[in-house]
Amino acid sequence: MLMVSSSFIQVIMTAIGYSGGIALAAAGITLIYMTTGTFNFAHASMTAWGFYIIFSLYKVFFGGNPYYYFPVAFLFSGILGVITYVVVNKWLLKKGADMVTLMMSTLGIDLIFFAFINVFADYLTSEYKVNSRLIVLTTHDMVLGEVAGFKLKAITIVSVLIVVAIALFFYFTLTRTKFGIAFRVTVENPDLASILGINTEVIYLVSWFVGGALAGLGGAVLSLVISGNPYTGNVVIVPEFAASIVGGLYSIYGSFLGGYLIGLSEYILINLIASIFGRQLVVYEPLIPLLAMAATLLVYPQGLAGINWEKVFSKLKRR
Amino acid sequence: MLSDVLDLLTNPLLLSILINMAIFLIVTLSLNLETGFAGIPQFGRVLAVLAGAIAAGAIAGRIMAAMFGMPWGVEYVGDQNLQIVEKLNSIFSQNPGLSIAMLIMSLIIAAAFGGFIGYIVSYPAIRLKEAYLGITLLAFGDALQIIGKYYDPLAGGTAGIVVPDLFRFVGTGKIKYLGSTMIILGIAILVLIYVQSLAKSPFGRALKAMRDNELAAKVYGKDIVKLRAQALIIGGALAAIGGALWATYTGSFKALTYNRLTWTFWPWAFMMLGGTGNNYGIVLGTLIFSIFRSLIYAYKSELTNYIPINPNWLEYMLIGSIIVLIALFRPQGILPERPELPLSRKRIEEIKDKVVGYKAEKGSE
Repeated sequence: MLMVSSSFIQVIMTAIGYSGGIALAAAGITLIYMTTGTFNFAHASMTAWGFYIIFSLYKVFFGGNPYYYFPVAFLFSGILGVITYVVVNKWLLKKGADMVTLMMSTLGIDLIFFAFINVFADYLTSEYKVNSRLIVLTTHDMVLGEVAGFKLKAITIVSVLIVVAIALFFYFTLTRTKFGIAFRVTVENPDLASILGINTEVIYLVSWFVGGALAGLGGAVLSLVISGNPYTGNVVIVPEFAASIVGGLYSIYGSFLGGYLIGLSEYILINLIASIFGRQLVVYEPLIPLLAMAATLLVYPQGLAGINWEKVFSKLKRR
Repeated sequence: MLSDVLDLLTNPLLLSILINMAIFLIVTLSLNLETGFAGIPQFGRVLAVLAGAIAAGAIAGRIMAAMFGMPWGVEYVGDQNLQIVEKLNSIFSQNPGLSIAMLIMSLIIAAAFGGFIGYIVSYPAIRLKEAYLGITLLAFGDALQIIGKYYDPLAGGTAGIVVPDLFRFVGTGKIKYLGSTMIILGIAILVLIYVQSLAKSPFGRALKAMRDNELAAKVYGKDIVKLRAQALIIGGALAAIGGALWATYTGSFKALTYNRLTWTFWPWAFMMLGGTGNNYGIVLGTLIFSIFRSLIYAYKSELTNYIPINPNWLEYMLIGSIIVLIALFRPQGILPERPELPLSRKRIEEIKDKVVGYKAEKGSE
């Protein structure tokens, strides 16, 4: 039944780009959760802001190439993360607020950021007469080449490069630098870290900046893969959460893995199902990350990183 | 004179405040039972609300159609939906007793469906903790919405369906809106009395014990699995009643409108403002927010003259700011939780005096 046609390859190419965006944002969720124990609902709007930065700078203000503005999306959402930390999260952490209060406070922040996206979209519409409530940038991506009937779009390659670069950056920072070691100590035991003279607040601040920035970068990648509107953040937050949770919530590399697992399964499974049972099932695509996450959690309540891999390997060796 | 009073009572702003207050009171009280008392991070409140709305619109509606010999299969939610429901409505408007019976049946079906959903949800709720559980519940809510949105044979898909108007026995026009709002408010008050009696019962205390220290509750012989399932079933049933009433009141159902923002996060905001774990706090929180939202909605066009942005977004900003401010400055809410006494303070003192007196008497013998 499996048709390896050019259209299927096209689907996989899109899926890789999409997964890259989800993986980056999921890494941001994981990073913030690891250090501050805050499950960040505001990631929805931070991703959507990344989306809108690319749209407004490329399509409305300056033109050129959408990739020029990726660093701006990264910085902008990073600043949103810093604002969230400095205005709200810092004080709640100082008070020792429980997990649900931390989560709900980020929801409040998300509603505010979401409102500002809408205000910005209204402004773009009224001032520049552009349709800012249905954004399609997918057709503006560079086509690197056309092989056997399918178009190789730049975002497929670029998203993978970004993910690899960020993963390497994390690897070297966390294992080779003093800051990375301080970071890991803070994750393990914040009290002990402060006794050793590590300024945990700086660690929290940096993780909010990088976490938010990754959401913006994820949104930037997604802007060239899917069409969007101000509610896009609320839609993609679900696969982002799913990727972060499937990855175990305590491993940045796990969340990259989770992002590709969720993103690829979303596109590939739905296309397989549709080719077997009929096209009308394509609309159920958003169910796949939900089911993947629920299934993973019911089998491994702590996510994939919660599995004791050493134990699994040693069992396998014994046999 | 009488018509003046009626005009005053059927003021659209007042009715909007009251109906929002009543529906969200039911939903937020159910959330408070699960989150405030039992400590379950219920980020999927929309699930049971949506289930209740589907039960009232698609299940109870089909049963009614079948009862009166009308098509109740896929036709019911398809092209013929409007004609069938109009025929049903004309039958109900001539027969108030039947209409009331159908309303009660519809609510019972919704409660059963919501309770069933709560039972299903208790399976992950036993295995998972905190963030993992919250996000899983959120995922379940989204999943049902996606199915409702795209699976047309369930409840009309994106086009939605018309729901039989079971409030027609109250009257027509203004009187109908006033009457149905009063009935729903009455049901909300009954729900309040019920959850408050639960809070005062041994069951309510066991839930709080489980929330505060699961291990200690276990040591005292409380069955955690059963308690959590019971809280989710009762909460799910109550939320479903809220959803069913909303679908019946508005006379239509669209899965699209049952999103997690309106039916999960807003009840959360109401609960946090009023006071998590305090039923009277929930009443206060819901009242404040309902007034607030209805006012913004009613004066939307006037507001646009004073502020440069669309008032819709102002509503998000204000609700968002309130959530943040409560989290920062008053996490316990306006009315903080307090111990619920099973009897009045005075009565307890009297009994205590009696017991102490009795003991003193015995000791002196």
